[in-house]
Amino acid sequence: MERLLPKPGDSDRRAYRTLLIVAVFIFVVPAWSRLIPGSVLHMDIVNIMVLVGVYACAVVGLNLLVGYGGQISLGHAAFFGVGAYTTAILCTKLHWFPTWLGIICGAVLAGMVGWLVGKPVLRLKGNYLAMATLGLGEIAFILFQQVKGLTGGTVGIVDIPPLSVFGLKFDTDLKLFFVVWAVVMILMLLSINLIRSRVGRGLRALHSSEVAADAMGVNTSRYKVQVFVLSAVFAGLGGALFAHFQKYVNPESFTLALSILFITMVVVGGMGNVWGGLVGVVILTFLPSVIQALPQWIPGLPSGLANFSNYELVLYGALLIVFMMFLPKGVAFGLSRAGKYSEVRARHLRDRIKARKMEGR
Amino acid sequence: MNTRDKGQQKLLWGSAIVVGLVVVITLIDKRSIGMQWLLSGLTVGSIYALVAMGFSVIYSSTRVINFAQGGFSMLGGMLMFSLSVSGKLPLWLGFILAVLIVTALGAGFERIVIHPMKDKSAITVIIVTIGLSIFMTAIAKWIWGTDPVKIAAFSGDKPIRFLGASLVPQSLWVFGLTLVAVALVFVFFNKTLLGKGMRAAANNPDAASLVGVSSSTSSLVAWTIAAGLGAAAGVVIAPINFAQYSAGTALGLKGFSAAVLGGLGSAPGAVVGGLVLGVLEQITAGYLPSGYKDAVAFVILILVLLVRPQGLLGRPEEVKV
Amino acid sequence: MALRNPGWKAATAILCLLVAVMVGAVGCGTQKVDTSKSVYKIGAVLSLSGPAAPLGLPEQNSLRMLEEQLNAGSGVNGHKVQFVIEDDQSNPATAATAIAKLINQENVSAMIGSSSTGATLAMVPVAMNSQVTQVCCAAGTAITKPPKKYIFRTPPTDSMAIDKVLGYLTGTLKVQKIAILHDANAYGTGGATELAAKAPTKGITVVANESYGSTDTDMTPQLTKIQQTPAQALVVWGTNPGPASIAKNMQQLGMKIPFIGSNGIANKTFITLAGAAANGVAFPGGNMLIPSSIPAGTPWRQAVDKFSADYKAKYSKDADTFAAHGWDAGLILTAAMKTAGTDKAKIQSAVQATKGLVGIDGTYTFTSTNHDGLNVNDLIMIKIENGAWTQIK
Repeated sequence: MERLLPKPGDSDRRAYRTLLIVAVFIFVVPAWSRLIPGSVLHMDIVNIMVLVGVYACAVVGLNLLVGYGGQISLGHAAFFGVGAYTTAILCTKLHWFPTWLGIICGAVLAGMVGWLVGKPVLRLKGNYLAMATLGLGEIAFILFQQVKGLTGGTVGIVDIPPLSVFGLKFDTDLKLFFVVWAVVMILMLLSINLIRSRVGRGLRALHSSEVAADAMGVNTSRYKVQVFVLSAVFAGLGGALFAHFQKYVNPESFTLALSILFITMVVVGGMGNVWGGLVGVVILTFLPSVIQALPQWIPGLPSGLANFSNYELVLYGALLIVFMMFLPKGVAFGLSRAGKYSEVRARHLRDRIKARKMEGR
Repeated sequence: MNTRDKGQQKLLWGSAIVVGLVVVITLIDKRSIGMQWLLSGLTVGSIYALVAMGFSVIYSSTRVINFAQGGFSMLGGMLMFSLSVSGKLPLWLGFILAVLIVTALGAGFERIVIHPMKDKSAITVIIVTIGLSIFMTAIAKWIWGTDPVKIAAFSGDKPIRFLGASLVPQSLWVFGLTLVAVALVFVFFNKTLLGKGMRAAANNPDAASLVGVSSSTSSLVAWTIAAGLGAAAGVVIAPINFAQYSAGTALGLKGFSAAVLGGLGSAPGAVVGGLVLGVLEQITAGYLPSGYKDAVAFVILILVLLVRPQGLLGRPEEVKV
Repeated sequence: MALRNPGWKAATAILCLLVAVMVGAVGCGTQKVDTSKSVYKIGAVLSLSGPAAPLGLPEQNSLRMLEEQLNAGSGVNGHKVQFVIEDDQSNPATAATAIAKLINQENVSAMIGSSSTGATLAMVPVAMNSQVTQVCCAAGTAITKPPKKYIFRTPPTDSMAIDKVLGYLTGTLKVQKIAILHDANAYGTGGATELAAKAPTKGITVVANESYGSTDTDMTPQLTKIQQTPAQALVVWGTNPGPASIAKNMQQLGMKIPFIGSNGIANKTFITLAGAAANGVAFPGGNMLIPSSIPAGTPWRQAVDKFSADYKAKYSKDADTFAAHGWDAGLILTAAMKTAGTDKAKIQSAVQATKGLVGIDGTYTFTSTNHDGLNVNDLIMIKIENGAWTQIK
């Protein structure tokens, strides 16, 4: 019987090792962040990392769709919202409903919606697909607002119970941190495995040339829908976790701006690189804080610009433009290129030293 | 306009009849109220048409979807405020200057950002135009703050009665500008060498560059025209709509839906799409709970993309292998 | 060994980047925060950018002015006061992150925020969980209904505004049939729903209830529908620029029925935008908009006059009701801290025990069941005539 996955090669083993290191690194964060006094830190890292984690669920899935599947979605905030609203509605309207089941329902429902809209919409390509997904995202937002009986309309749903699994309550940021990032690591593992599998190879063939893949017998439309649904499930999972984190949902949390943020995280982080999503989400979440701190780093800025929130967005837009112009493959590629470059330089240096030694100087 | 196949002609007539029926039924059912909806819809629709033309011009020359198109309109309106209200310049001078400034910005952006990126993937360029849109909104907020601004109507506010409905005089300016813009665009693309060359470049870039119209020139001229159209639309609608730093996004999305409806890449399509969208929105708001009005644009967008991506007047795209 | 491979290096480099970004962000502060023990720190999450910025920016101005004035004097019981202000960008998720940071990292003793209902509701679970008193500047009913132990508010609630409007409709205009036209957002929908529910109890029939999108600019479809009904007055519930467009549309359509707005148009922007169409419009607002409505010589009048003058001198603009909300929030908390110090439980009791505290919006009294502070008598009906506000007696 054919194995589900081929035997792990060198690069695959590296990927798993990296995953392990990243996981260890992340789970250690609360230890040192809680030790540093607040007056130095100026940021509740654990709290922010929970938000980073729930967004990461959506972005990891979107990265599979965009980077490997070669498709695009400008409406992924809708799946995030479906996941969030599903668990919020179930857990507040039916007080006995277990929250962990709500999260699973959220992910599943998001996947179903993804299947329903994916099948017709994925027949479109490139720009048209982008616009169709954008339109769908906007329609979802309007539905969140208008179907008041279910969603609470524009006011939203309050008092969502915290996540609890068989009596264990995850009501503090720290406890949620571990749950959310465990989920993210599992999703990353799934991603790595997916890319290694036959589906992943089919996806990559699809990405480089859909026509060629079709000609070679790859069932392109099935793979496209599958990866779309998977990315919807990941996003729904993230959204459901978000609902139990913030304990409040309203349509404002699931706008076009969020969809654009997700896609930006994928692109800035690096499409086609399995780490791209994670890198992107971390950078773009911490970036505003870094920008906010710039006035303190650069003494030349006039003090009249005290209200930094005005030019934070200016810099953000400018940074997007600059990034796309000079680093379109994303940070991960930039880094690996830098890594390869320095690697090649180091080898040259070593070879030259060896050569000189051999010449007996 | 080029040759169209029988199928497309049938579709066009079919759609025209459907839309016409909807309008006629509304007029019969609601009489003068329906007339009001129609007139309001045409006013709003004209603005959508101008924005949609901007999308189409850029798309037909460069296959780029410019997310910042709405931003050009927003800047046009805000600049008009600064020039004519704060700066006390006469209206005609403010109009010309506002349009010129935004046009220069559009051309500048094309040269500095878009042109060097012509080989990058579609999604990269989309993100860049999104970045521009964010940038323009943020700059506008920085300069003008968050409050909406008031620009006096060009010829007063006294409503004009027409067949049981009323129009503000500014609406006439909107119609007038749209007509002039459509005429100018038509003349440019059909009667001038550069315009005809650009249309050729869209179909066959190599042949076109052989005769002197490179895709680079096409792109620059397209962005210039789109920025100018957007700015002019923004200026003329500002007295009705109250220009505001955040006005670009919504207008861009609606204009885009109109462009897709009419056919991305077809300027007459953009006009048809804009007017139809404007009228349908008003009728929807009239019959249904008004919150669903915004959904009209997106539902139309999805329907068109699924059923006939090239829109009413566009031509099917070839997929390059 | 595997280290020779570039991919491995890349992964390590990515990790280092993650570390660097986090440490960099971590090491950055947004403001120089005084860490000396004797400074009383009060956190504030306000909407300084995004759609609610017109509300948050004046609130920030007031807090900065209050901080300056207190510290120039003897502070709060000899301690200097610092308001640590964060921007929530009118986004609920950002508000929740900001309050967590202020409570856990900056160790603030109490919180102010936010400017709009959505962002405030996202902050509430964090404040309740950390048992930190939060005084908000938003008017959404859901925030204090049912009352939550640590959550208080300064602005008059939408309920109070609605009661005031109903009083005006029955008492002064004496109409029996009204139409409602509301913004589809949380503020507009909440107000319209409550108005529609309360109107029949006062003998008023709601003959039409329409909505418009926050970014809509042409409301003639809705208005033409209303014209067909026997409505004797139109109540518009929304914030600028919608109501201004409605006023102009009504003029265009030749509609003569009275236009009654909500407290959302209690600012000069409405008059600027609507121009001549604004005349004749009535709305409920705070007394501070027309200082002469407060009897001269009273502590309230003196406070309002001083506040308006100081604000104008410092910021070159007129103080509006949002500035008042911010100031009063700061006032309530610093007054509580005079007796409670930095003890969070004592601050909650002190705020809840506030009685008769004279602010700018009105006089505040909290109880264990009433966390709203003001009541319907702290509002007046205002009419716009010749582009200026006059009180409707």
